[in-house]
Amino acid sequence: MAVGGKAVGARIAAVATHLPSRRLTNETLADDFSGGWSAEKIFEKTGIRERRVVEPGETALDLGHKAAERLLGEAGLSPGQVDFLIFCSQSPDYVLPASACILQERLGLPTNVGAFDFNGGCSGYVYGLALATGLIAAGSARTVLLVTADTYSRFIHERDRSVRTLFGDGAAATLVVADDSGCTIGPFVFGTDGRGAKSLIVEAGGARVARDETTAEPVEDAFGNVRSRDNLLMDGGAVLAFALREVPAVWRALKERAGLDDAAIDLVLLHQANRFMLDALVRKLKLDPDKVPYFFETIGNTVSSSIPFVLEQLIAEGRVGRGNRAALIGFGVGLSWAGCTISF
Amino acid sequence: MNELRAGLADIFEVEPSAITSETALTDLGWDSLAMVSTIALFDELFGKPINIDKLKNCETVADLESMAEEA
Repeated sequence: MAVGGKAVGARIAAVATHLPSRRLTNETLADDFSGGWSAEKIFEKTGIRERRVVEPGETALDLGHKAAERLLGEAGLSPGQVDFLIFCSQSPDYVLPASACILQERLGLPTNVGAFDFNGGCSGYVYGLALATGLIAAGSARTVLLVTADTYSRFIHERDRSVRTLFGDGAAATLVVADDSGCTIGPFVFGTDGRGAKSLIVEAGGARVARDETTAEPVEDAFGNVRSRDNLLMDGGAVLAFALREVPAVWRALKERAGLDDAAIDLVLLHQANRFMLDALVRKLKLDPDKVPYFFETIGNTVSSSIPFVLEQLIAEGRVGRGNRAALIGFGVGLSWAGCTISF
Repeated sequence: MNELRAGLADIFEVEPSAITSETALTDLGWDSLAMVSTIALFDELFGKPINIDKLKNCETVADLESMAEEA
């Protein structure tokens, strides 16, 4: 049963992101997809000119580590001031232990911190905020370091233009702290539809389907895209239809739960899937485009880090000041979606 | 129907006159991107969810038009 939820006295004190250095441009993709899309067509449709991808041996944990280190440095925070670490990723270093435990050691956080991973995709950032504010509301933590990091490039077949054009690797670190001065995070709205589990999936490599030479066999689909069962598969049509169905419902539920109308919300931060998806949602939700920042032209869709990339930019531009209110909505792999409101 | 054809002409970057009921989608460059664009177009024109399995089986503009009539 869905419950009401409430706003929690908490705020986002800092955001820092990190990108791997290797660039994957539309020109490179156009060469790789010979006879298919031109570099300009890829940009026109996706709004993306380039994305960043990891080098062999570089992992989501490495990216998350760099983002977290930068955040602690910029916020002037000593590791001892953090009392909880949450790591959100779908590309962990190991089956076990949790990457958060390794990150605790790397960052030099004290051993009395709580730390865990969760497997979140495009709704992962909002889920992470919900977990962080829940810990704060329960009095279990006051300073939570939320790290989101993913490397979908590792899962993508080089001849699958349906996903290689869209996804980029990246990480973000967000400091969520208890607040009693009027800043709030929440209420939250969640949704899940496991019927769409196979709409966005890496099938082999977990416990259900072990990787072997048969799962690595590449197969060409009806549109000329190539992938194996070891690779990421996205049924773009199903994912778009899902987003057009559920995001408007989340938007309505959020406003109702928070008791806000459109005018009371200064910014709507949507998961930065691609221009095509966001344009369709902005039209459908009848949003003022000025309230909906886009940030994917130079980084692509960075999954659970896409919203904090926007937030970091907004903070740098001074667009989220005291008294501003934002709605955040993430949606994707699961299928899973989540939204929340934030009063800065 | 004119709106549907105009939308399809935009998606495939052709003149509207190039879109007739008999036109085969493969001749227009029907790919994964065209399919998601068509889903967005139906949503915009009719405001209702489209049956994706049916859409995947469409071969001609007439097939899309009959889906539009049902919408």
